[in-house]
Amino acid sequence: MQLTYERRKQLTYRFMMTPALLLMFIFIVFPAFYAFSLSLTNEALLGFAAKESSYVGLSNFERLFDDPLFWNSLKVTLLFVIGSAVIGQFLLGFLSAVLLLRPIRFKAMFNAMICLPNAVPEMVVGFLWISMYASGEYGTLNRIVAWFGVDPQQWLYSFPLIAIIIVNTWRGVAFAMILLTSGLSSIPKDIYEAARIDGATDRQIFWRITIPMLMPTIFLYMFVSTVTTFAIFGLVYTLSRGGPANSTEILGIYIYNQSFTAFQLGYGASVAVISLVVSMLIGVFYVRMFKVEV
Amino acid sequence: MTLASNTVASTGTNQKMTKSQFKTYLTLILISLYCMVPFIWVVLASVDPKASQFLRIPESVSMEHYWNLFANQSGLRWILNSIVINVSATIIALVFAGFGGYAISRTKAWWKLPLLYAIILVRIVPPPALIVPVYKVMLTLNDWVNALINAVFTDVATQQTMSRAFSFVDGYLGLILILAAMQLPLAIWIMKTFFDAIPIDYEESAAIDGATQWQTVRKVLIPLAMPGFAAAGLFAFINAWGDFLMPLMFTSSPELQTLPLGLFRAFLRVDAIDYGFLTALAVIYTLPAVIAFSFARKFLTQTFSGGVKG
Amino acid sequence: MAKIELIDIKKQYGDTKIVKGVTFTVEDGEFAVVVGPSGCGKSTLLRMIAGLEDITSGELRIDGKVANQVSPDKRGIAMVFQSYALYPHLTVAENIGFALTLKKHDKAEVAQRVKEAAKMLQLEDLLQRKPAELSGGQRQRVAIGRAIVKRPKVILFDEPLSNLDAKLRVQMRAELQRLHKEFGSTIVYVTHDQVEAMTMAEKIVVLNQGHISQLGQPMDLYQQPQNTFVAEFIGIPKMNLLDGEISQDEPDVFVCSNGLRIPLAVSYQGASGGLKLGIRPEHIELADNDNGQYDVKIVERLGIETYLHLQRADDEVIVVRLEGDHNLDAGQVNLHFPSDKCRLFDEVGQVLLPSTH
Repeated sequence: MQLTYERRKQLTYRFMMTPALLLMFIFIVFPAFYAFSLSLTNEALLGFAAKESSYVGLSNFERLFDDPLFWNSLKVTLLFVIGSAVIGQFLLGFLSAVLLLRPIRFKAMFNAMICLPNAVPEMVVGFLWISMYASGEYGTLNRIVAWFGVDPQQWLYSFPLIAIIIVNTWRGVAFAMILLTSGLSSIPKDIYEAARIDGATDRQIFWRITIPMLMPTIFLYMFVSTVTTFAIFGLVYTLSRGGPANSTEILGIYIYNQSFTAFQLGYGASVAVISLVVSMLIGVFYVRMFKVEV
Repeated sequence: MTLASNTVASTGTNQKMTKSQFKTYLTLILISLYCMVPFIWVVLASVDPKASQFLRIPESVSMEHYWNLFANQSGLRWILNSIVINVSATIIALVFAGFGGYAISRTKAWWKLPLLYAIILVRIVPPPALIVPVYKVMLTLNDWVNALINAVFTDVATQQTMSRAFSFVDGYLGLILILAAMQLPLAIWIMKTFFDAIPIDYEESAAIDGATQWQTVRKVLIPLAMPGFAAAGLFAFINAWGDFLMPLMFTSSPELQTLPLGLFRAFLRVDAIDYGFLTALAVIYTLPAVIAFSFARKFLTQTFSGGVKG
Repeated sequence: MAKIELIDIKKQYGDTKIVKGVTFTVEDGEFAVVVGPSGCGKSTLLRMIAGLEDITSGELRIDGKVANQVSPDKRGIAMVFQSYALYPHLTVAENIGFALTLKKHDKAEVAQRVKEAAKMLQLEDLLQRKPAELSGGQRQRVAIGRAIVKRPKVILFDEPLSNLDAKLRVQMRAELQRLHKEFGSTIVYVTHDQVEAMTMAEKIVVLNQGHISQLGQPMDLYQQPQNTFVAEFIGIPKMNLLDGEISQDEPDVFVCSNGLRIPLAVSYQGASGGLKLGIRPEHIELADNDNGQYDVKIVERLGIETYLHLQRADDEVIVVRLEGDHNLDAGQVNLHFPSDKCRLFDEVGQVLLPSTH
């Protein structure tokens, strides 16, 4: 064999990578690019175009930008992501992380209870909250608010967006808590002690030391949770199927409805393209900004 | 919120709680209640012979719903399908990610860095965006596979079994492969980070001793990488197990239904919904995920702390 | 046991040259140490001998046969890594016997040879333990055991003692020399510690930025360094180097930049400025005349010897070693620089030879 030792090793590595890269290519990378080309056709599962699709240029996109449902979906998704990931999960997670680092008892128990919602499959989450939100006076949430003198509501009908934000917040507190606990623990105790000796108040310590030192963790959390929340489908679909009247039609559901209920594959692909572009922008932004180390 | 009070010495054996401690406990109890309350119904209803959609204290407790699950055709079917499909997907993901992560860790190719960034980007792709193009891909692959099957096997019964097993749409193979593919980015990342931490000395020592590539893999690399496999495997399993979209897209026959779909479809029935059956099913569906999560918990911080370099 | 020849070995990664033409021979059974500062290329050199890195150009011969393309396991070598690379999931016995089990030797034979190696290294009681349960020194011996059990022609060591504490290092140095005597295998040992080189080597190769600075026996390098790099690298404390010049009017006097005049043993014709005079701390003497006046900055009394750190004008501090204990206060002393112990180096750091007419 003329191949040198080093060369042989390098070739072996390339060979070993191939199955994984191939699988990802076939099922993720290629389809992502394919979506772009599909979006330029009028492909469909039923009707005329089902037999022979044809190139329609950017007309799908024109239709898309004219469609108020699309803009609605974008708005709903944005509110959903901000409400649950950026605000809800983060605040509760941060609070839990801080509290659990204090000298108290039953930490393991609290920890387990807060983590439980995260451990549960999406489908079951939807299922649980359908019962919680059940209307009539026997619905669990209704019974709770009855204590406070509030009338029974039809939660998923009257406040759909808030309802799903509450559910997703419920689900994701654990992730924020775990990440922030790790971040908080990694701040050396000496720093707090030095600040105390310098005469800093608790509030000053929090805003001038803790938060700045937590920034990398916070940004990591924001990135991962934004991306994951953006990709949610099953959770909301089970709860509301995007309704009532498209009020909870996040992007994932909008794509699904357009593609498989209306059977418009070309059109659905155009939404997919938008979704991909937005995700990629978020990803590239984060990776460049914070120089993610690989 | 007083973070600094974390460094204060514990109040230890004081009988009276300080005001701050009381507020802490109270807040934590409220948060925990928020987290736990929704579960009460599903657990109670699953042992309640007269389960309903509403939370109620059962008058009597019985395990009949659980027995029913296994006696019932569909319930058992769903459970078995989920197990077979998700375990297979996890194994495939682990094997591919093991080799892939190792290779990427060790390679000196000029395209290593762009490849790693690309893998991050792949991870970011939202599955709903893929459903249309993947569906087309699966349809094509499906046609090829079925054409092959029909060419090779002449007996209709065999054709059908083979088709059921190896089809891409409405077949085991397709679902397993796509679930595996989706777990790959994270799994590769975990394995790669893991191998980065293992010095290459072990492999070089084995090379000097004359180990073949396969011997090195079997006797050195796999034992050393066990914790990595555990972490990657747990995450892969949890994600695949909970996936709803892929089974929804690619299965239609009743024989192929997995737990999330079974649960979903049963819930949509127009006629009387057997809540007892459903809640028992939900509990069974949840258990493996919770168990896996409890093991994976400690790996969660490890995986992500690598990214927090700021 | 084998002879190793390196002939103009070069190593390059893309545009970066790491090893820039190294030639030397390690005789059969010789203990050779390649020493140099971090980044000099010594590890790369060792790995090329092992076959873990390709040789960009040049020839490597093991036992007379060209070995450039031979794969690592066919070169008859064994290597002890800096990190020991002990498989954590195998016992000591399994670790030592690893290479033998790969080649599917008979189990009884493997056990026998493992036992022999363990006996030689006093590891018999530890055979069933796992590496995590062993101390640093024990792990080191296991790594060595794994190397010798193969009965290799050549053993390569990559900075094996750097992870050990000072006391263990002294012990292990003695161990390694003992093993070498018993086995007689050819050894190529890489380190950055010149003490290890001086105490163990039969031949030292000093490497600096990919080139050989000097090659020879330890005492030759100590007493007759060929350049300022070797002069300062070998020996603790370092050889003192004084800046100065020799004028043509007085070719046998070295005039330091701090004003001191040092008479030399020979005349150096054709010499000029930018020179350095090297003299070891133990060779400088205290004198009576006030020709060599120096300010005492620091006195280090170690009982068996005393180190003085001295300065003259604003020149560099020099170190003088005095035998025995000298209770000196800071102040002024006079130094004498015996001419036969001085060694001169030119502007580029090469040893300066008196011109022969």
